[in-house]
Amino acid sequence: MNLRERLGKEWLFCDGGTGSILQKMGLKGGELPETWNLTRPDDIKALNRSYFEAGSHIVNANTFGANRFKFDNVSEIIKAGVTLCREARKEAGRDGDAYVALDIGSLGKLLEPMGDLPFNEAVEIFTEQIKAGTEAGADLILIETMSDSYEAKAAVIAAHETCDLPVIVTMVYDESGKLLTGGSVEGTVAMLEALKVDAIGINCGFGPEKMLPLAKRLTECSSLPIVVNPNAGLPRTENGTTVYDVDPVKFSEIMEQIAKLGVHVLGGCCGTTPDHIKSLIAKVRPLPFKTPEAKNATCITSFAECVTIGRKPVIVGERINPTGKKKLQQALRDNDIDYILTEALKQEEAGADILDVNVGLPDIDEPSMMENVVLKLQSVTSLPLQLDTTNIKALERGMRIYNGKPMINSVNGKLENIKAVMPLVAKYGGVLVGLPLDEEGIPSTSDGRIAIAKKIYEAADSYGIPRKDIVIDGLAMTISSDPNSAVTTLDTVRRIRDEFSGHSILGVSNISFGLPARELVNSHFLTMAMQNGLSAAIINPCNGPMMASFRSFNALMNLDPNLEEFIGAFKDYTAGSVPSVSGISKSTAPVAVLSLSEAIERGVVGRASEAMKEALASGRGSLEIIDTDLIPALDRVGKGFEAGTIFLPQLLMSADAAKAAFEVVKESMSDKPRQAKGKVILATVKGDIHDIGKNIVKVMLENYGYDVIDLGKDVAPETILKTASENNIRVVGLSALMTTTVASMEETIKLLHENINDIKIVVGGAVMTPEYSEKIGADAYAKDAMATVRFCDTVFEN
Amino acid sequence: MPLDADIPVKEIERYMGYRGDAGAEQDVFETIVKAVEQVKTQSHPRIISREYPITVSGNDIIIHADTEDTTLSSESLRRNLEGCCGAILLAATIGPACDMLVRRAEVRSMAEASVYQATGAAAIESFLDNENNKLRKQYEAEGYCLRPRFSPGYGDLSLDCQKDWFRLLDITKNIGIELTDSLLMVPTKSVTAIIGIGYDKDKITETGCAACNNRASCLFSKERTRK
Repeated sequence: MNLRERLGKEWLFCDGGTGSILQKMGLKGGELPETWNLTRPDDIKALNRSYFEAGSHIVNANTFGANRFKFDNVSEIIKAGVTLCREARKEAGRDGDAYVALDIGSLGKLLEPMGDLPFNEAVEIFTEQIKAGTEAGADLILIETMSDSYEAKAAVIAAHETCDLPVIVTMVYDESGKLLTGGSVEGTVAMLEALKVDAIGINCGFGPEKMLPLAKRLTECSSLPIVVNPNAGLPRTENGTTVYDVDPVKFSEIMEQIAKLGVHVLGGCCGTTPDHIKSLIAKVRPLPFKTPEAKNATCITSFAECVTIGRKPVIVGERINPTGKKKLQQALRDNDIDYILTEALKQEEAGADILDVNVGLPDIDEPSMMENVVLKLQSVTSLPLQLDTTNIKALERGMRIYNGKPMINSVNGKLENIKAVMPLVAKYGGVLVGLPLDEEGIPSTSDGRIAIAKKIYEAADSYGIPRKDIVIDGLAMTISSDPNSAVTTLDTVRRIRDEFSGHSILGVSNISFGLPARELVNSHFLTMAMQNGLSAAIINPCNGPMMASFRSFNALMNLDPNLEEFIGAFKDYTAGSVPSVSGISKSTAPVAVLSLSEAIERGVVGRASEAMKEALASGRGSLEIIDTDLIPALDRVGKGFEAGTIFLPQLLMSADAAKAAFEVVKESMSDKPRQAKGKVILATVKGDIHDIGKNIVKVMLENYGYDVIDLGKDVAPETILKTASENNIRVVGLSALMTTTVASMEETIKLLHENINDIKIVVGGAVMTPEYSEKIGADAYAKDAMATVRFCDTVFEN
Repeated sequence: MPLDADIPVKEIERYMGYRGDAGAEQDVFETIVKAVEQVKTQSHPRIISREYPITVSGNDIIIHADTEDTTLSSESLRRNLEGCCGAILLAATIGPACDMLVRRAEVRSMAEASVYQATGAAAIESFLDNENNKLRKQYEAEGYCLRPRFSPGYGDLSLDCQKDWFRLLDITKNIGIELTDSLLMVPTKSVTAIIGIGYDKDKITETGCAACNNRASCLFSKERTRK
């Protein structure tokens, strides 16, 4: 029988440890276990066979670490491993009821943005393994010992894109149920369920006792069959040898308790043996079997957070959407991702639960921008994202690269749109916003909208997307053109809750378009919508009245335990004032008496921009202000730093203040571009992922009037050469932190000097010395950011 | 589990480049206090350590693990481990959250980023000092004496040895640190080290900065900071 037909319907058992047993058989510490598939096939077969004979239904082929980073002959190793396991099953007489798993472990590399492995490259590497395993006749893909849900997602996507075999994923958590990235059991389950794996679970990490509470949590949140494969206790070393303490009897006793929680597949991991499995099967098989129960939670997750859509409304921050926002439009055209990240952090601090991400502009490459912005946002915020686009390519790029289970905005009732969007949600998983409009337009009655909502629910059924993952938009439209529109919208929201037990969402502020005092209408409308059951509000969380409505509603409806959020936000509130939003007011209150140059020297950001505005308002020319106030102030700080009387933080704060003042100038003369002193490339060399030093240099150079092309970190020599040639660059600044990456710095310098006449290369970084820099052919060594500025000045003044 | 160790402000200031008697200005100090709080609550410290028998022969230190011997060649490490019969290999990290805090701060201001960077560096050292103290007490109770911890990249111990640590302790699988091709660790606030197990306190001649070949040029040298 097909494994899929048996999972969750009867007790099934996995195998136990492999590496720990091979070590006893003589596997050397540095030796890769998978090499034995070719060098000692009989031993591997005997091990597989011993598990089939012990009664395991699912036995792992010896392919755990057979990936491109460790082997040149991945396919050969994997095919041999799967073949041996199949032969072992035959010899054990288990062809009828046992399964050979292609065992896939972590690649041992962290994915971008935390590490250096691009997500799509990880998918490609897993695909290579899965292709080989499938060709050799594996019956299922077992993705195990994953400590990063993102890597697990890459492996699942590779499996689904390569074969139709069942996919099981087991993660390794710490005792508190957290992944290394901060993700929880519940969040991981939500993501993996949405990715449509066949079973989920936990393995490795520790023994069965400590796994008990985690297994319980799994049974409380998973709708899928659950797998639990613990170690035989915690490993410890005795005279350099690794030992495990939990014997087969003790192991099976605790596994019995785990089985009773409602787990469906049990086995072992490091340190467990065929005897452990035999003993476990004897204990568990007679127990009554509980089939998995469907759970009804609607979860949106990131790598670390899990936001549940339920009785308490959630806030979706709307600020990352270029519609009507000139600054954001410009930032998108300039590829100024930092601006977008700043907007994200502001909204997070103001209390957003989810961030809407819309990067659609007619004149940009939206798919690439979506992918890049999602990746960059997930490097600075753990808030889940709502991918908001009508561009299907952009949507797919965003969903693929997204770490977690996103919210998708949106699908509508048009057949063509359903056909484009729903397959993506079925594949990558997500909570999908459905707009109740179709080929006929937007119905003006709630009856019409509810009819389309029904159609969307039914379409989701046919694509295998659970109804709990659909959120219907009530479609707020301005009351200035249709006086009944708020009534219709509120009615739609209420009926979604009452007639479908469904969830709803609104772009709240649309309701007041064209009216004065919009925030008054918006904030009252928000309260009314929440009272009618609104599940998610797309608003600007930095808007005081909106957040005041939201927090007051939660306080009144007993959705704010101990009124903690309400009191936290309004403890300093005074009657009659416009409620302020906690978190976003920075402690850089302007110090009114400081002059511009004083503000810069003391690094007071707020005052520096105020003083610049005042100076401009007094009629002084911007260049004159820069030359007589701003630059000399910056210089005094720079000299102090060089003399050792001012330290790095003060230097940087002055730089921040100067930057803020420059921003004011920039805005005041946005049509007249400032003449830059010169253009400089900065990069952290290939292999090096530390870039804080380089970023400090960037801030300083920009303040001194240079245009900086920042190529980021881990940059290939060829990329630097290409950029330098295309932009007629005269100075390149390279940074390297470790001795190991100095070699790639040397290579970059050589390549640049060979190809571009007169290009000057200035180097810096923790391991650099003047002698070292000379040795590798650099034109200058800069001990810090100021030294880099001085060097550029000498080059460009000549 | 958040970090349960004090992160001394003096150490953070030292990593930020304050020299001599100079300490952080009031506004920087306030940022440090905030950073300490965030780094402590968001960190997720993990450590793995194992004890191995060792033999020292010339400048070679041979680590006897399971069925495999690993040789480290280093004069500075040999001096550190002179007379030891065993050693503890360890790896520790405060997890990836601090790296994200630094990235977030960078979006706002580089001054803030430099504070978080330094706070993270001080945090992993504090965590390790605490763990080191626990080990010391444990070993001293058994009549041993632990040597100062020594890391790949110190003195003439090549950074290449990181690979040995990662293989012997299976660090990536056990506590989630990745070693990049250029031998950097991610999360960045991570440390690998070896601690010698000896019998006799007199054998410890040089510790900390004094044992390091880079002490003359090092910006962070404690001798330099506390002159």
